[in-house]
Amino acid sequence: MGGAYKSLNGSEKGDAASANGPARKQKSRVLIVPSRGVTYRHRHLINDLHSMMPHSKRDVKWDNKGKLYELCELAEMSNCNNLLYFEARKGQDLYMWLSRVPNGPTVKFHCQNMHTMEELHFVGNALKGSRPVLSFDAAFDKEPYLKVIKQLFLQTFGVPEGARKSKPFIDHVMAFSIADGKIWIRVYQINETEAKAQTGEDGETEKTSSKNRTKETDINLLEVGPRVTLTPVEGSFGGPIIYENKGVHLPNQVRADLRRQQAGKHNARSEQFVERLAKKGDLGLRTHGGKKMPTDALDSRELFA
Amino acid sequence: MVTKGRLKMALAHEKGVDFKKLHQKKVAKQASKKKQSKTGGAAKDGEAEEWEDEEEETKGGAPIDDEDDEDDSEDDDEEGHDVAAYLDDSASSDSEVEMEEKIARVRQPKQSELKQKANNKKAVAAVEEDEEDDDEEDPEEDIALEDLEDLSDAEKEDLVPHQRLTINNTTALEAALKRISIATDKSVPFKSHMTLSSVEPTADNIPDVMDDLKRELAFYGQALETVKQARSLLKAENVPFSRPKDYFAEMVKDDGQMEKVKARLIEEASAKKASAEARKLRDLKKFGKQVQVNKLQERQKAKKETLDKIKTLKRKRAENSGDLGTHEADLFDVGIEEELGKPDRKRGADRSGDRPNNKRMKKDQKYGFGGKKRHSKSGDAISSGDLSGFSQKSMKQGTKGKPPKTARLGKSRRNAGKR
Repeated sequence: MGGAYKSLNGSEKGDAASANGPARKQKSRVLIVPSRGVTYRHRHLINDLHSMMPHSKRDVKWDNKGKLYELCELAEMSNCNNLLYFEARKGQDLYMWLSRVPNGPTVKFHCQNMHTMEELHFVGNALKGSRPVLSFDAAFDKEPYLKVIKQLFLQTFGVPEGARKSKPFIDHVMAFSIADGKIWIRVYQINETEAKAQTGEDGETEKTSSKNRTKETDINLLEVGPRVTLTPVEGSFGGPIIYENKGVHLPNQVRADLRRQQAGKHNARSEQFVERLAKKGDLGLRTHGGKKMPTDALDSRELFA
Repeated sequence: MVTKGRLKMALAHEKGVDFKKLHQKKVAKQASKKKQSKTGGAAKDGEAEEWEDEEEETKGGAPIDDEDDEDDSEDDDEEGHDVAAYLDDSASSDSEVEMEEKIARVRQPKQSELKQKANNKKAVAAVEEDEEDDDEEDPEEDIALEDLEDLSDAEKEDLVPHQRLTINNTTALEAALKRISIATDKSVPFKSHMTLSSVEPTADNIPDVMDDLKRELAFYGQALETVKQARSLLKAENVPFSRPKDYFAEMVKDDGQMEKVKARLIEEASAKKASAEARKLRDLKKFGKQVQVNKLQERQKAKKETLDKIKTLKRKRAENSGDLGTHEADLFDVGIEEELGKPDRKRGADRSGDRPNNKRMKKDQKYGFGGKKRHSKSGDAISSGDLSGFSQKSMKQGTKGKPPKTARLGKSRRNAGKR
């Protein structure tokens, strides 16, 4: 089977090369690895992504959060050059690592606003394994780090031409937009409807529209799902960090801050108590310790002692 | 063998130093060093031979420690082999891993292939170049990065929690980009990458990120714009775009789920319809109530008016009754009063204000109405003292002679009157 595929693929490749000159075919496979401790929603999201990427391979849950570089070896072993690692923290936060396998770069995203296909109840649907059109925001070409991210997305989520299980038609689009410093991912079905004739006032317009009808159809989009919002954080499996996002509020830190704030209440109160004691001592209002007030000669206790 | 001065030998003998062992240790050290420097099977074999030679040499000298020595040496020998083997293994495996890494490292960016072929030398050369490149880029930034990292590690507690240090190593980012990027410009066919960028950044169309509708609309707009472009590009390249109606294949969402979606849609639509209907009914009800209230008010108004009329009429009658005879007033008035102004309530109220009819009053008086009824007829002080029914005259006259009060005429007179 594999041999046949290879030979087939090879011939195809040769054809393509002959047809398009030196253009080489992009070949890539993606390994999708969830970490230990993903919740069911995370799992469903991963399944959704996997179902839309015929060039991906799902691996079992990875149970070693410390040694992420071992993931590279895992990917190499399963013959993948891209890695999509979903790391769940504390059973609630999800981080997505996106990496080119042997040498990087690697990006770590914080995933928010996750909605799986199933829970969204959208009417859109797409062929399993059809190649998506990748629609990028213009903002992706502005910053170098976004350029890198764009390339990573392109090579990970874009189904390479002639991938093994891909379907020949194109019926969905994957949109990556940037808003509020976050990357929003949406998937839409491309729905071609017959162009509506202009309300028949002129005979001519109707004719032209009917002529065009065979060729041109209106496009509208129906959302398929899933939805994710990604915040690039930083990341590497090893090696220098070449980009780190400043403005990220990581959920763990937020929670810790909240806790600290609550714990701080007691500290503040006890501090106040000590301060008050010191103040009283300075004014000589304490029986023990503190400063004694100078004895007044006209004090009744002195006079009648 | 051992060649030393006599005195030294004697001293050594007293101390019990075994020269052979010392020598062996020395040799072992040397051997191990050699092995570490050379990692070849031949060298190892040669050393082993040397070892054997030495053993043979030692056999002549001291018979006491001989066996131990032999054992030791054998152990050492084995250890030596082991170490050598280990070294060998590690060396080979290391080299393999390195090679793999390097191959992968070069190949994926340069050839973007996954299949592994042994094409070492080129790869290695290329890798070296690559690494040199890296080195060239990195040094200054690397140091800076490390500093930053250290700082962030050590002083993170002291820093304000959200203050993260931004690292944005542009040169490194660009190098990485150059390494991994695949062409998406016009030199390659569009179908190979199917990637398009929008003309304007989407964020410009989003006034408020929290506004779901506008945000999603902006995303939709971006996708639609690019899809239209993409379709024309793909059609120009003769790539099949739209799915024919009779092409069935597995979908991302299976039929069960689509059924669910459909059911949900239907449910939503029906719920909407039902709610609209309910609202309509409610409105009607509200309206009906209003109508009822209006009617009641109207009725009351009408009643009030008639009552007013009656009052005025009555007043008129009262005024006019002096002039005209009661008969005439009755003729005009009674009809109206009877017809219009007599709700039951009013009648009852009137009656309660009036006294009951005479017969009733008499009966009440006679038989009693309310109060204690017993002994009501028995005599008491008052009744016995009451002499109102007594008169001397009537006693003296007697009942016979008493003429009847009503002056009934005699028969003859009455008859005479008739005539």
